Amino acid sequence: MALLREPIEEPLDLRNYIDGEWVESEGELKDVVNPATGKVIARVPISTAEEIDEAVAAAQEAYLDWRTTPPLARVRCLFRLKELLEENFEELSRIQTMEHGKTIDESRGETRRGIEMVEVATGIPSLMMGYNLEDIASGIDEYLIRQPLGVFGIIGPFNFPFMVPLWFAPFAVATGNCIVVKPSSEDPISQIKIVELADEAGIPPGVWNVVNGGRTVVSGILDHPDIEGVCFVGSTPVGRDVIYRRCGETGKRVIAMCGAKNFSLVMPDAHLDRTIAACMTSFFGNAGQRCLSNANLVVVGEGLGEEELDAFYEEVIDRFVAAAKRMKVGYGLDESVQMGPLRDASKKQRIIRYIEKGVEEGAKLRLDGRQLELDQDLPGACFLGPTVFQDVTPDMVIGREEIFGPVACIMKASTFDQAVDMIHSNPYGNAASIFTSSGKWAREFQYRVECGNIGVNIGIAAPMAFFPFSGMKDSFFGTLHGQGREAIRFFTESKVVIQRWF
Amino acid sequence: MVQANVTAAAVMSFTKALEDDSSAFYKKMADRWPEHEVQFTAFARDCERSKTQVTRTYQETISDALDATFSFEGLDLDKYRPDMALPADVGYSDALRIAIDLEETAIAFYRIASEQASLLATIPRAFNRVAKRREKRRLRLESLLADAGS
Repeated sequence: MALLREPIEEPLDLRNYIDGEWVESEGELKDVVNPATGKVIARVPISTAEEIDEAVAAAQEAYLDWRTTPPLARVRCLFRLKELLEENFEELSRIQTMEHGKTIDESRGETRRGIEMVEVATGIPSLMMGYNLEDIASGIDEYLIRQPLGVFGIIGPFNFPFMVPLWFAPFAVATGNCIVVKPSSEDPISQIKIVELADEAGIPPGVWNVVNGGRTVVSGILDHPDIEGVCFVGSTPVGRDVIYRRCGETGKRVIAMCGAKNFSLVMPDAHLDRTIAACMTSFFGNAGQRCLSNANLVVVGEGLGEEELDAFYEEVIDRFVAAAKRMKVGYGLDESVQMGPLRDASKKQRIIRYIEKGVEEGAKLRLDGRQLELDQDLPGACFLGPTVFQDVTPDMVIGREEIFGPVACIMKASTFDQAVDMIHSNPYGNAASIFTSSGKWAREFQYRVECGNIGVNIGIAAPMAFFPFSGMKDSFFGTLHGQGREAIRFFTESKVVIQRWF
Repeated sequence: MVQANVTAAAVMSFTKALEDDSSAFYKKMADRWPEHEVQFTAFARDCERSKTQVTRTYQETISDALDATFSFEGLDLDKYRPDMALPADVGYSDALRIAIDLEETAIAFYRIASEQASLLATIPRAFNRVAKRREKRRLRLESLLADAGS
């Protein structure tokens, strides 16, 4: 199948966007490489500490005017932004495929999710309302108002370069705050395109800033006294040991959404055709580089004898492997491709080390993604095929640690209780799914499992923009979550007024 | 040959091409038989409207969490590529027969795609709407053929 047109023909020289201006950085430039083709598609600056200071100062200065701008006027900017995002839907989606590697369906899905965040944030005039009660005592009324706080930092991950910063940015801006976004330096182009459109939508200078870079920019955000809070999505070691800890030390609000090792239970009464289809998206979508991907598939023999469980286990594995084998891997701008490359070659090598470890640990390798042969004439540096292990146990390294790639670990549990214990033995608590036809097991699952996002016959339990994106245990550090009403609370202070007039 | 790897994106591109080509076909009919220009031009416009509606539905429905990549697995798109050639010497009645074949093939495509897309929110509904519209058009073409005295 022919490739869709690439919207980036020549490498882009990216700049920072500070105080409504495109600013050249003093920092060194780093190549942004299309992982499918190996071609350089942009050069991104690794900005300096001074540049992050400039952005925060601009945001701080813009804040006073922005917070006093009526909410209706603020959201009109977002309505215009939404329209511009719709107009540029296809180009934005193709850019994600080029900079990240995901398939075009996945990119369009990501674009849609991002736009939905803007749509929900346009409801701020209602969502931000407080509440009141008169006559709490004689002639005294009490009410709660929500006020913005100032400047927030948003640190984006590489796996959803368009959508994830939008989990926070529209809510922050709509509630009257100003933001400094640091996109992943691996795939920063989407955020540059978004802020171009934010500028066109009339969001005033200083309200929405983008500073490209790496650790220096992150440290600048974490340490800056004028930043009130930080939103971060990335790995658990960074989220917990750097972001959450430093925000605690500097008194900042924090949402740190981190790693995952998600389990999926297949009960004997599951609708297997649909379960396997959902599993393909869940385990191999985005090449497994998503915090909601399922990683461990537990075949549960509740109510089955030993032989029946073995037969059921083999059936699930056979069907899972057959479906995974059929997947077409290649460049995501080819519409027949079902899985793209990993974001970069080092990630592939890291995952290969996990595959080797799994073999060493005694898990049975049923499908080896290292043997992938590409149909297309592409450099193979970042490509890895779907990989399936069976006979994995939760204590094996591959069953325990986050691999963040297209590797499925299949396990067996005799009972539902045993399967739930497996989930709880893992330090992460981002998401978990159950495939069943039984309301009883579904209810037990959602009630007992300590994970923030639960799927019932759903492979990817991704909350919509009007619900919080939850997470527990080592998958989340903070109190309030991104998206929906919790985001409104995160980006505002609840002020209580008690009033009497003489 | 059955194509194993049919993604939602591929189905959408197929749909767009089907509606574009159908529109071009009816424009040619309108040029060739000016006495029926109003009718065929309306058909052409209708195809463009269908394309817009289906594309919009897809873009508004697609989500990173949906099983879009695998929903159409096994759908053989080649079975649903109608012959839309309009030879220079073709008569009016034969041209209508080509149009009826085109509509039947397209309706069959939309029906099967709708069934397979059952988990993709409003996409099946959009496909069914286009199928219904094409069914009406097929009936109109049948009636034109009857009027032509074939």
